[in-house]
Amino acid sequence: MKVFYFLGVFAVLMLAASFFEMPWSRTTEDSAEQELIVLKSTAMGAMAMFSILFAIAATALLIPKDLEDRTLYTILSKPVPRLDYLIGKLAGVLILVTVSLLLMNGLLSIILHFKTEELLLVEMAKAEAHGWSAEHLELRLSAVAQQGVTWTLQAGIGAILFKAMVMASLALLISTFSSSTLFTIVIAVVIYFMGHFTEDARNYWLHSQSGGVSKEVKLMTQGIALIFPDFQLYNIIDSTIEGKKVPQGIFTRLAILTLFYSGIYSVLAWFTFRKKEF
Amino acid sequence: MEDIPAVQINHLVKEFPSPFRKTKIRAVDDVSLTIMPGEVYGLIGPNGSGKSTTMKALLGLLRPTAGSCYVFGKNSLKTDSRQEIGFLPENPYFYKHLSGEETLRFYAKLCGMRGKALNNHVDKMLEMVSLQDARKRRVGGYSKGMLQRIGLAQALIHEPRLIILDEPTAGVDPVGSREIRDLIVQLKDKGVTVFLCSHLLEQVQEVCDHVGIIFNGKIVKAGPLEDLIAIEDQTEILIKDAGPRTLARIKAVIADSENADFISMGKPRTTLERLFLDEAKKSNATTMTADQKGGDRA
Ligand SMILES: Nc1ncnc2c1ncn2[C@@H]1O[C@H](COP(=O)(O)OP(=O)(O)OP(=O)(O)O)[C@@H](O)[C@H]1O
Ligand SMILES: [Mg+2]
Repeated sequence: MKVFYFLGVFAVLMLAASFFEMPWSRTTEDSAEQELIVLKSTAMGAMAMFSILFAIAATALLIPKDLEDRTLYTILSKPVPRLDYLIGKLAGVLILVTVSLLLMNGLLSIILHFKTEELLLVEMAKAEAHGWSAEHLELRLSAVAQQGVTWTLQAGIGAILFKAMVMASLALLISTFSSSTLFTIVIAVVIYFMGHFTEDARNYWLHSQSGGVSKEVKLMTQGIALIFPDFQLYNIIDSTIEGKKVPQGIFTRLAILTLFYSGIYSVLAWFTFRKKEF
Repeated sequence: MEDIPAVQINHLVKEFPSPFRKTKIRAVDDVSLTIMPGEVYGLIGPNGSGKSTTMKALLGLLRPTAGSCYVFGKNSLKTDSRQEIGFLPENPYFYKHLSGEETLRFYAKLCGMRGKALNNHVDKMLEMVSLQDARKRRVGGYSKGMLQRIGLAQALIHEPRLIILDEPTAGVDPVGSREIRDLIVQLKDKGVTVFLCSHLLEQVQEVCDHVGIIFNGKIVKAGPLEDLIAIEDQTEILIKDAGPRTLARIKAVIADSENADFISMGKPRTTLERLFLDEAKKSNATTMTADQKGGDRA
């Protein structure tokens, strides 16, 4: 239920952001684009924060809650494989994240659409006033439209969902051996932040070991990269906010990477949960 | 008819690590028991004697430290052994935001039921535990007795051949607990095997045909109820509405006979209770004198 309160807050935030006139607005040439970018980054920042925090917190609570209520006893005493139980719980959280992201995405797209239309009209008015050439107008219009509702933007929102998916399965894994919910959440958040530096850390480590890097070290860093998700690739979220195009290949790679991480974490979660006693 | 036991527990040992000492807590100590299909088995014992632990091991919720558990010949660590089991845990609790009906639908789905069969079963179960009026209410608002009943319905939803009840009448009022008892008798008539544990000895005596008494994780006495509580050389006569004259004449008849002695007359007792208390005394005596004399008065 609290999810829906958040969605309400998000809606208000979005509406407020769309009516808010930036102080510097309409002074420079590309102010229209800037305005759209601010709108997008506010909205997508909130979306990312919500979906990732929700994915972590909700998943971390799943097993402890069932255990506390003793519903776990009745569920696991039915002919339900433990893997199915885990996957079912994870799927529940992911469906909730997906639905709320879709709703927020819908709202963002509507507002962004109207805002873009409005700004396009402004550009046309400017063109008439300043007597821009047809090419110049065309260029301006396409620059503004690029910051509107595009497939690129949808790819960015997809990447947010992917990130939430990785974090949910990671939180599930931690919760199968952690003894407190708080521990699960804290560790998951720490790993989340570390995930943004995995690549840098690995590169730094490999370069500082100048000369020959032994095979073992390479394997070890690769092992660490497996345990700590590498979120470098997920930075396309930021580029989509700025309206940069995301190649199809990158998005596909991201999808595969996400499935890979979630799969590994789920399998590991199952390994610890399989033998768990209640 | 069938010769595969519904429940077979072989030398089950379950130890829990104790947080501060090196020694482990032995909650269940070499328990063996066999329940044949159609039997109603009652496990009785004081708090903390290992009843719930035994049941959890039988359900695969705990892994035995040693020994093994089988349900209709299937190892209880395997998921498919649970196909035939319905379980009511002690103080059951469910997702409080679901209604009674939704709760049952959820458990029916877990058992692989779909569509029409599911609806029929849910209706049947709600009727059986007389919760039709509360079916749309949230389980969070249910009383303790109602929770216990929805728990029973949940345990029976897939028509299991074995039903395991951990203190089914705990916290239920006398009328409610009589209903639950009647339900158990009904199940028994249908040929369902019942494994229950309880502190309420009268009730165990009324419904169970086999009884095991467990103390400190050990089964100290087990067998058919009749054998356990029968006093071989005595006969009990139960008479309804006997007046003082009738009783006097019966006494006279007994006094006249050659080797029969009149012992007592009164209201019938819960003999299982007497047995239980005797065993409790013996068990305490052995644990207390064990280190002094190594004696065994049992
Ligand atoms: N998860 C656990 N960790 C540690 N010790 C446990 C655990 N579960 C049970 N025990 C211990 O095992 C012993 C047996 O517990 P169990 O719950 O089986 O008793 P019980 O016979 O069901 O008692 P009650 O009548 O109170 O329900 C107790 O001493 C208990 O403290
Ligand atoms: Mg118990």
